[in-house]
Formats: sequence, C-alpha cells, structure tokens
Amino acid sequence: MKRIIFAGVMLGFVLLLAACGGKPDLTITSFTDELQDVIDVFEEKHDVTVELQIIPTEDYTTTLQPALESGDGAPDIFTGEIVYLKQWTEQDYWETLSQEPYNVQEWEDDYIDYVWELGKNSAGEVKAVSWQTTPGGIYYRRSIAKEVFGTDDPKEIGNIFSTMDGLMEAGEKLKQHNYRLFPDEGSVQVFAQGQDPQPWVNENNELVVNEARLSYFDYAKELRDRQYTALAPAWSPAWYESFNGPISYNMGWDEIDEDADVSDQTEVFGVALPTWGLHSVLKESATETAGDWAITNGPTPYFQGGTWIGIYKDTENKELAFEFIKMLVNDAEFLEEWVSETGDVLSFLPVTEKIKDDFSDDFLGGQNNYEFFLEEAKKIDASIVTPYDQQIGDLFGTQVGNYVEGEMTKEEAIAEFYSQVKNAFPDIIVPE
Amino acid sequence: MQKNNLRGYVFIAPFVIVFLVFNLYPIFLTLYYSLTNYTGLGGIGNADFVGIDNYKRLLGDKYFYQSFMNTMTIWGSSFIVQMGIALGLALIFSDLRLKMRGISVFRALYFLPNIITIASVALLFSILLDWHHGSLNQMLLSLGIIDTPINWLNKPLTAQASVSLISAWMWFGHTFIILMAGISGISKDYFEAALIDGANWWKSFINVTLPQLKPIILYVLITSLIGGLQIFDLPMLLTDTRGAPNGSLNTMVLYFYNQAFKYNNFGYAATIAYGLFIITVVFSLITFRTMYRKNAK
Repeated sequence: MKRIIFAGVMLGFVLLLAACGGKPDLTITSFTDELQDVIDVFEEKHDVTVELQIIPTEDYTTTLQPALESGDGAPDIFTGEIVYLKQWTEQDYWETLSQEPYNVQEWEDDYIDYVWELGKNSAGEVKAVSWQTTPGGIYYRRSIAKEVFGTDDPKEIGNIFSTMDGLMEAGEKLKQHNYRLFPDEGSVQVFAQGQDPQPWVNENNELVVNEARLSYFDYAKELRDRQYTALAPAWSPAWYESFNGPISYNMGWDEIDEDADVSDQTEVFGVALPTWGLHSVLKESATETAGDWAITNGPTPYFQGGTWIGIYKDTENKELAFEFIKMLVNDAEFLEEWVSETGDVLSFLPVTEKIKDDFSDDFLGGQNNYEFFLEEAKKIDASIVTPYDQQIGDLFGTQVGNYVEGEMTKEEAIAEFYSQVKNAFPDIIVPE
Repeated sequence: MQKNNLRGYVFIAPFVIVFLVFNLYPIFLTLYYSLTNYTGLGGIGNADFVGIDNYKRLLGDKYFYQSFMNTMTIWGSSFIVQMGIALGLALIFSDLRLKMRGISVFRALYFLPNIITIASVALLFSILLDWHHGSLNQMLLSLGIIDTPINWLNKPLTAQASVSLISAWMWFGHTFIILMAGISGISKDYFEAALIDGANWWKSFINVTLPQLKPIILYVLITSLIGGLQIFDLPMLLTDTRGAPNGSLNTMVLYFYNQAFKYNNFGYAATIAYGLFIITVVFSLITFRTMYRKNAK
C-alpha cells in the first residue's frame, strides 16, 4: 500500500512538473518590469508566450554577465543600462544588428543621434537599440509650489531653479513651510556635475575629477546640514513613499517634543529624475498625488539612464526575437499607443514629431512634458559615457555619503575615492 | 580477485569523478587564473600570463588586510556572544536540580532563526534598523533612551556589531543543540558524584561540564571559524554590496566577489581566493594541533 501511495505521489510530481515546464517561445531578461506591457501586446499579436525575467538593478550585471559569458542560462533578448552599455557593446554578447538579415542601419535616420550612436561598438556595428531618450529635470508638486512660491507654472518654477543658489533658497523657503526640497541629497548630484560635464575616464585613461564633480560634496553637505532633505535615501521604501504624501521625519528628539503630530512628518516638494522617472517611479508610487505634479528644468541640463535592448548572439529564436525588437523600437503604431499609456519620451522621431505639439499628461496636470524633454534632449552630449560609469559612480557616491554622514573630512573622502578607484581599476591613472 | 578490484573502483567512481570535475579542476583552474590578468570578459584566451604579480599586489593590498581584520572581528565577536548564550542555555536546561521542562519546544524555537533564508533576515533587519523609519530607533526614541536616531548601518562600529549580533542570533540555537547533545553525553555519575562531594553549581560547571565538553566546544569552534571566514551574505545585503560604511563590512569573500564580478578583475580575485584558502588552512592547522594536544593529554 505504501508503495502505491509513494508511486502515486511521484506520478503527481511528474505531472506537475510537466504542466509547469511549458517552455516559453522567448525569454527576455531586464532590470525593470516596464517591458511587461510590451510583452502582453506582443504575445497577443504573434500568439506566442514570452517570459520576462527581472533581475534587480544592483545585481543585474553580476548575475547576467556570467550567463552571457558561458551561454548557460542566457536569455533570447536582454537589455542593458547606459552605465554598463559601453562595456557590453564591446563584448560578443549581442547579435550584430547592422547586418543581414536585420539591416537596422536603414533605421538610423529615424532616431535621435546620440541614442543610435551609443548602441554601436567601436567598430561601428550596431549591437543594441533603444526606443527612449532620457534627459532629466525636476518633478515637483504643484499644490506645494502654489502655497510656497505663489505659482505652479513650470516656467516660473524653472526660473527659480535655474541656479544652484536659487535651488538652495527655494530649499530654505520650503523648509519654513515644513516641506523638504528633495527626498535625499542624491538629487543634486546631476546638477553638480552638469555644470561642467566630463567623462569619468578620458582618452588617456586618466580619472577626471573636476571642480564641478567635487562640488557635489559641498552641495550634498549643505542640503543635509540645512535640513532641506527628508532623509529618505534614493530607491528606499521611504523614498518611494515620499512622493505619495507626508512621511515621518525627525532629526532629533527636541524637534518632535512639542507638537509631535506636525513636525515629525514632512512632505517632499520635488525630485530630480529623468524621463523614465515619470512612468517607472512616480506613476507607480505617487497614486495619491497623481495630477499634482509638473516637470521643469534644474540649474543645468542632464541626462540619466536609458535602456538599450538587443538579441543574445547564440539564441535559437533570432527571427522572433527580432520581431519583438522591431515592435518595441520601430513600430510607429505600437509606440504611439505605448506613449499615450506611459508618457515615456521616445527617441523614434516619426512618432515624436507627430505627437509632440499637442501631447499632454494627466499625471502632470495636463503639462506637455514631451515638448520640454525633447528640447532638453538636444542638449545631451553622450561623449561623456564610459564603460566605467556605474562602478566609479557608485564608489564616488559612497564617499560623498561618508562625508555627509560626518564619517570623514572631504579630503579624506576624496583620497579614499582615488584609492578605491585605483584598487578596482588598476589601469586607470588617478590623481596623486 | 582482479574482478573484485575493478568492482571497487566502479563503486568509488561517482565520488571520484564528481570530486575531480567539481573540486580539483576548479582549484587548479583558479590557481591558473590567479597568475593571469583575466578580466572575466571574452574568455581566458584574452588574458595574459602575469606570473606572481597578483600575489605581490595581494601582499601590499590594504583592502585585503582590512577585509581580513573585519572578518575576524565580526566572526570573533559573533562567536563569543553565540557561545555565551548557547552555553548558558545549555547549562540551565541540563541542570539536574532545575529540572527544566519543554526542552524540545525551546530547542525548536531557538533553532528557528537558523532556517530563515539570509536574504529574508537581511531584509527584516534592514527595516528594523532603518535610520528614521526603523522600529528599533522609534522604540529607543519613545523610551527616551536616545534623543537622536542612530544610523545603525551607517557607522562602522554599529554596522559591524549589527552583523555580529544578527549572525549570533541566527546561530546560537544551532550551537545550543550541539552543546546539549554533548552535555547529555556526559555520564550522570560525574554530576551525582560532584553533588555528593558538595560541589555547587559553579564548581560542577568548571570541573565537570567544561572539561567533558571540550571536544564539542572545539568542534563548534572549528565549524564556526570555517563558516565565519566565508561570511558574505549579510554584509552584502545589509549595505551597498561594497562593505560600506567606510569599508567596515568589507569581508574577505565580499572583497573577492567585488573584485571578480563588479570590477572584472578575475585574475586578482582568484589570487584573493588563494589568500583566503591559505588563511583557512593555517587556522585549521592551528586548531587541529590544539585538538591533537588536548587528546594526547
């Protein structure tokens, strides 16, 4: 009897496994779920099943790269973020798309130049393509702007924010009304380096640390010390929560002593995020405050992030994989629909030209964010992108954090940063 | 006769093959990597042979020494706490006079933290220890014990202490069970004899329990040391994956991981792995020698 039960259980397992084991027609690996909507449309259109594997951003390269190197467990399609894009286009990971049977070079004129150029390797072959462009700005809450600055007009708020001093003054005003300018200090980083954009490593393989980059130390410290931020570190649960309404805040016991209900809570005014921040951060987390947002410029133009996509070189489904990429990047009909749902800013000119004049996003109180961002996109200089951006950027951010926390002096933190860059990349020449 | 011999080889073949393919081959491959500047990108064919350059670098690498010291500090303090708690509990539960009940329930309860995956533990504690929104600070603030929130995971000392205590919390139940097994293996005659001789609780602990328990304690020490030298997951998950704040959670395996998978210095990472290997061998030799001497006595 026992044996029969055992056999039955085992048979059950086998059937269960067989039922679950339906292999998808296409596997896509990415670091966000933003492609899920695209996949849904694609599945319906082609009557196939597509699996989206999401690896969190912080583990993405370390998890995916060994799979790409060995070919074991590699997906059919995978995305790459701008901070390691240049490293990957030089490797033999992505299929070359500027050749038969794909011939994507014919599409080139339809895209914003820098977006197309970044997808090429040093030999000029197109390895990856992108549907988006990623200039940034400052998203802010209209209701708070009206209360503190007397207007919520993006142009006027943009004037206030047009210098670093203006930004700090705004921070002071907001603080007096118990609002915080930004959730965390990271929001000023882009504007600090935006004053004089330089690549992290120049053509002589030297680490470039100019005054503009170093000024991030001072601005971050100023924001922290003057309490212009809500102490909600970027990408933490509190950071997401801060876009949705008041969050708990206390710098010390004294402050929450008297009127605990009011002053141990604060509300965040704005955040520096690029185009994709609208649909993948704000629209996702700021459901309570939807419609109360607007976008304007900061002290300097900047761009941040951006997702490129390509076909894994050894996939067996090249044809279907290319169909997917064609739809995501080059299908005007699909892209128009995608934009109306997400508000993502495209790099595909046939669609942007068509919609830019009378675009409006309800989440931004009906503002035409397309007009704003396409203008900002013209200022993007992608020559500052290097293969080292993610790692060196992270090491730099950690040291700024040490300084802001009071763990180190500025000089110690900079020296430690140089030492760590040298340790991570022995070939890079760091300043003595 | 000959046939029998062959049959023996067939029986040990599975182990030998698995050992050769998955243990010995990687060990030698790592040795070879450690002599190259392999980046982990585009295959080993792209790498150059650099001789012992990586080993020279390792000897002068302050981050490697830092990671060694961090590892020892975190493991050492965690071991002391975990051993203290486990030993104390084991004594209470094994005391003839106290006659504690419900031992199996407590044993299960104490062991519980050990079966939670480390990723969940890390998530749990990063929420508990959060600076402005964490329960621990909120609790201490409202009790008036502190007047500004402490950024636990952002100060070197508290960060190391947090990791130590979390791993002590995870492992004391495991140690407790092993110690209990050891104590129940001690013949009751000793304790009864001590009782009749008028030994109090403390004296019978020092003169009976501890000497009889030494091999078990040594066993716990060695397994804990070998595990402790490889501590990686908690420091990685609780901070920025690089051992922040200020490198205080940069353990040896975390350093190895970052060099290999973040900075693409596979060759140098292999060297760090060999450094770790040598350190583990040295520590094991020391403990084995001590154990051997104890047994000889």
